[in-house]
Amino acid sequence: MINKSDDIIVMTIARLIIPFIQLYALYVLMHGHYSPGGGFQGGVILGASFILLIITHGIVEARKKISKKAITLFSSFGVFIYAGIGALCLILSGNYLDYGYLSKILHVDAAHARSLGILGVETGVGLAVMAVMVSIFINISSFGESAPENNTDEEE
Amino acid sequence: MEVTLLIEAMDSSFKIMEKAKSDSVGLLETAVRLTSRTRSIEEKKINEILKGAKSRKGKVQNIAVSFLLLFVFWLLLSGKFDLFHMTLGFICSLLISFLTYDLLFANVRVGDIRLTIFRFLRYIPWLMYQIITSNFYVAKLVLKPGMYIDPHIVKFRTKLESDISWVALANSITLTPGTITMNIHDGEFFIHALDRKVADDLKSGEMEDRIAHIFMEADHIYIQDVLDVAAIFSELRKNL
Repeated sequence: MINKSDDIIVMTIARLIIPFIQLYALYVLMHGHYSPGGGFQGGVILGASFILLIITHGIVEARKKISKKAITLFSSFGVFIYAGIGALCLILSGNYLDYGYLSKILHVDAAHARSLGILGVETGVGLAVMAVMVSIFINISSFGESAPENNTDEEE
Repeated sequence: MEVTLLIEAMDSSFKIMEKAKSDSVGLLETAVRLTSRTRSIEEKKINEILKGAKSRKGKVQNIAVSFLLLFVFWLLLSGKFDLFHMTLGFICSLLISFLTYDLLFANVRVGDIRLTIFRFLRYIPWLMYQIITSNFYVAKLVLKPGMYIDPHIVKFRTKLESDISWVALANSITLTPGTITMNIHDGEFFIHALDRKVADDLKSGEMEDRIAHIFMEADHIYIQDVLDVAAIFSELRKNL
């Protein structure tokens, strides 16, 4: 279990910079089809920002931002978005992840539908990667025990 | 005749004294009233500070300010100003500002934020000047054949109060060549200095005063006191 850092400089700089790291992660995620980046990279940066929060502010404080339930939900919901868009293309008589066929329900031309489809898939990948990164980090740092979660439950 | 004159004089003097007494009582009353008024204002201010970020208005304000900051950051990063990307940026900034507004504005003190930013911008050239001069000094010190350095650790207690001003001071010290902040523990700075002169410059406390001026700490409180007293004095002068 990781406690609150006692270094005031690291804590303050972390708390000032975390929002910008997270926004940068979303920028990398959303601009994946124009510039370097994409779902996995954005998700990793987003996960890293939460890991930074855990390292500096302790796991109890970080749980207020991203609870265990949210991690579980995001990791499965991200996969669901990815698989759901793929299956939607399959339903619309295309191949799996053949985004061009999404134009039938999005009411735009095929090229635009491809762009939007990639954005949706990458959002799913990003969410899943973020949640899995954070959950791996928490599991390693707490030696596989879910002690912090139990503690907060007792306090409430 | 003289007796009546004496009695008259005594009478008038009594009258004058009576008038002076009532005047002074009135003055005291106004003074007390003013003091209680300033005290109530101060109490209200302290309550506001204590409630601070907890109150609803503070929360909305924090979210709005952090949203604006993040949206500007997004526009700088993205560089695409069409409707689709602006909408994406709007949604993302709103999400992040809801998630992290209490991180960005954890220990906000009273005072005008615009003034703080203005003072901080004015502080940067001074810091640059300090960095350049101590750069030359350290270079001279190190390049001398004998290398007359005298490394030691300086410990001092700061008068600054908030974490952000501590960090600003610590990073300013580290940025200046010759001195490095090693640790901050309970308001005590542990600083490694390369030379006696560098350490003396640090101990003179000019940098600390400037940081206190930026974040309106320590000195700011005394200024508030003077302003309160000035109101009481002006009222008193009016009555006199």
